[in-house]
Amino acid sequence: MSSGTIESGRPGLRVIEPKLMPPRVHPGMLRRTRLLAALDGEGGTPLTVLNAAVGYGKTTLVRSWCIERPEPVIWITLDPADDDPARLWTHLATGVERLGQGLGSGAMAAIGTRGAPVEAAVDELMNGLVRHGRPATIVLDDLHTVGSDASLRSLRHAIERVPGNVRVLASTRTDPPIGLARLRARRALAEIRARELAFTVEEAGQMLEHEGIALSGESVELLVERTEGWPAGLYLAALWLRDLDDPDGEVRAFAGSAREVGDYLTEEVLTALAPETRDFLLRTSVLGRFTPELCDAVLGRSDSAAVLGQLAASNMFLVALDARGEWYRYHHLFGEVLQLELSGEAAPELRLRAAAWCSAHGLVEDAIEYAAAAGDAEMVAELLLEHHLRFIWGGRLEQFLGWTRWLPSELLVSHPLLPASAAAAAAALARPDVELERMLVLAERARRRRPELWSPYVEAAVEVTRAEAIQRGDVAAAVEHARRAVAAARAGADVLGVGVLASLSQALFFAGDLDQSRQVAVDAVERPDAPDVPDGYVGALGLLALIDAEQGRSESAEAWARQAIAFAHQRFQADSWVASLAHLGLALACASTDRLDEAEREALRGERLRHSPQPTIGHAHALLVLAQVRVARSRLSRGARDLQRAQRAIAGFPDPGRLPEIAAAVEQSLAATQATAGNRGPIEEPSPAELAVLRGLAAGLSRREIGAELYISLNTVKSHSRELYRKLGAASKAEAVARAEALGLLERSKSPG
Amino acid sequence: MPPRMYRLVVNGELGPRYASAFTGMTVSAASGKTEITGAIIDQSHLQGLLERISDLGLTLYSVTPLDNGNGESGSHGAPPPRS
Repeated sequence: MSSGTIESGRPGLRVIEPKLMPPRVHPGMLRRTRLLAALDGEGGTPLTVLNAAVGYGKTTLVRSWCIERPEPVIWITLDPADDDPARLWTHLATGVERLGQGLGSGAMAAIGTRGAPVEAAVDELMNGLVRHGRPATIVLDDLHTVGSDASLRSLRHAIERVPGNVRVLASTRTDPPIGLARLRARRALAEIRARELAFTVEEAGQMLEHEGIALSGESVELLVERTEGWPAGLYLAALWLRDLDDPDGEVRAFAGSAREVGDYLTEEVLTALAPETRDFLLRTSVLGRFTPELCDAVLGRSDSAAVLGQLAASNMFLVALDARGEWYRYHHLFGEVLQLELSGEAAPELRLRAAAWCSAHGLVEDAIEYAAAAGDAEMVAELLLEHHLRFIWGGRLEQFLGWTRWLPSELLVSHPLLPASAAAAAAALARPDVELERMLVLAERARRRRPELWSPYVEAAVEVTRAEAIQRGDVAAAVEHARRAVAAARAGADVLGVGVLASLSQALFFAGDLDQSRQVAVDAVERPDAPDVPDGYVGALGLLALIDAEQGRSESAEAWARQAIAFAHQRFQADSWVASLAHLGLALACASTDRLDEAEREALRGERLRHSPQPTIGHAHALLVLAQVRVARSRLSRGARDLQRAQRAIAGFPDPGRLPEIAAAVEQSLAATQATAGNRGPIEEPSPAELAVLRGLAAGLSRREIGAELYISLNTVKSHSRELYRKLGAASKAEAVARAEALGLLERSKSPG
Repeated sequence: MPPRMYRLVVNGELGPRYASAFTGMTVSAASGKTEITGAIIDQSHLQGLLERISDLGLTLYSVTPLDNGNGESGSHGAPPPRS
């Protein structure tokens, strides 16, 4: 892999086309006039949720509505693998992209960018929809299949930002945890539930008549009563009744039965099928979605296209996903029941054949799914090894980690690349430490078990992951691991070069070796492929800014920082912790050139980006920079608080590197400022109006702004300030604020920040 | 949480094919209801069973933990209203 071509030569995973295909509506399906009108009537509501059990006709209703509407539809059928938000948003972005004008490309670029949070992709996608400007509908079918916090969070983030020209329709079996209560309260949510979706007697009568079934009114009523209007039950009843001589008699018998509706009706429908058709249905039921070729491969026949064509025409439980007869799936309920009927021994063999076909046709994810469902862990491992870069480059870290976690430990230790990549993924996703540790331990065992497979790439990936993990509290060990990662990358994993150099530079920075840290950061940013690794690049630029600021080169520090922040913004790292270093560097540069307001703003931003649930070296350092800037700005009590928080964290680290030294320096300047500000005896108490002006000065407002805020003239502000300076014995704004802070006058302030 | 006996009741008398849907559990149908009884290892196991019931379009009537398999604990098993 040559470094220059990384960007263009990074194939991710292929889009799963049938996920984006809106299912066809069978001509035998009843047009639900009243429900279509209800959907039309909710035109102003950004989100409509159809919530009911399987078989209530949610998908059919949404699909029929979309067909009758002029606006374009982005349809996505969700499934459990969409627990990886990168997969979910790749498919949604693909759908938006197909509206034209490159509307989804920003989102897709964000997903493929290392270290970019998924929310960045969501925001990009919403921007694309705003640019589209015209009405569009997004359908999230089977939303209940998504269960991960990450995906649900990203969906909630999106729902709150859907532009006015876009309507979202979601079908689900359970209320999705995406903030529905809040939307309901804001009247931003329309709901259609089982009660509305159930067939009325009249609708059931129309449907049966359309199917050519002559039933008495009384029988239709019995049928609706027995099925409780459940549409799947009524369609099954139609399939069952249409070839019977005495349908009324059969309905009476059915109404008297205590059998479960779905069970009774499928039993009747399946028994009535020709044995060959029945066999075809049962054996293909292990396939989630299928093409005629896939059926041929799995069943060892060559006429699946004809069989499927016939079935689709006569049976509404086979759903065509496109007009060309390429992709099909069974209705969820029907598919489930068919699988029950299929003997347990047959299924794994059929699934393995499906896995082989999918693998040969480049459908990597489906191949892995089938292999896993067949219980063939070896095959899953082989597929992951072969395609792992597709997962990584496509941003599908959750998915990759999910599969590796599923593999037995014994298998993972024979393939070092798998636990190594999984550890790197776990670190990038900020998974709990135990999970990261488990993968690192497995990688270590794999190193001993299969030394011949322990490549420089694996070594560099494992060492840099260890360095980053350890850096939370043990600086010396982090330096050690980062050095090994750099050595391994030099020996034969050049593709990891930027990342490992940035990691080493940071470890050296915290260890206190600023000159060496700077040299390594320069090496990282001067690599031609540096911009292709946005997180490493932004991190290294930020370190250069910090070091130059500390060493008194504030002009170049500011240039590095601004370059880093602009690039981070452009490459979706603006809200990532890697951008924190640049903001801290900029804060120090501003502080040394007396732009204290800007310095505090930047330090605060840097501190917030570094915030994490557990104490880390990085966050403690950010707190120290913030404290230092606040002390310089004479915000002494806040600075003291930041310093205390940092010191508490530092006390818990096994090796905090140079942080105690920085903390001591901040403490000293705090004490010095407190002394000059506080040692001048009692003062004349400022008036409430003067105190209000004082609060404005402390908040960094100009006199004009203070006047505007307090509804007083500029001249009045000036005279209040003069009085304040006199009472506080101060010669400048900074001094006045410092003294007021030292005297506790600002503690009475209500202003936040 | 240690394994615990549970009884899940769904509406309707299920035919024999449903025994394979709930492997490891005893499935018995009588008087318009079907009882699915057996040891549940943990919450994910129980959630999985509930999802299975939903996948098959069955109507859940009640979920009851049983005390050591010989009596109903009474306080957990109030049947929800049918939707």
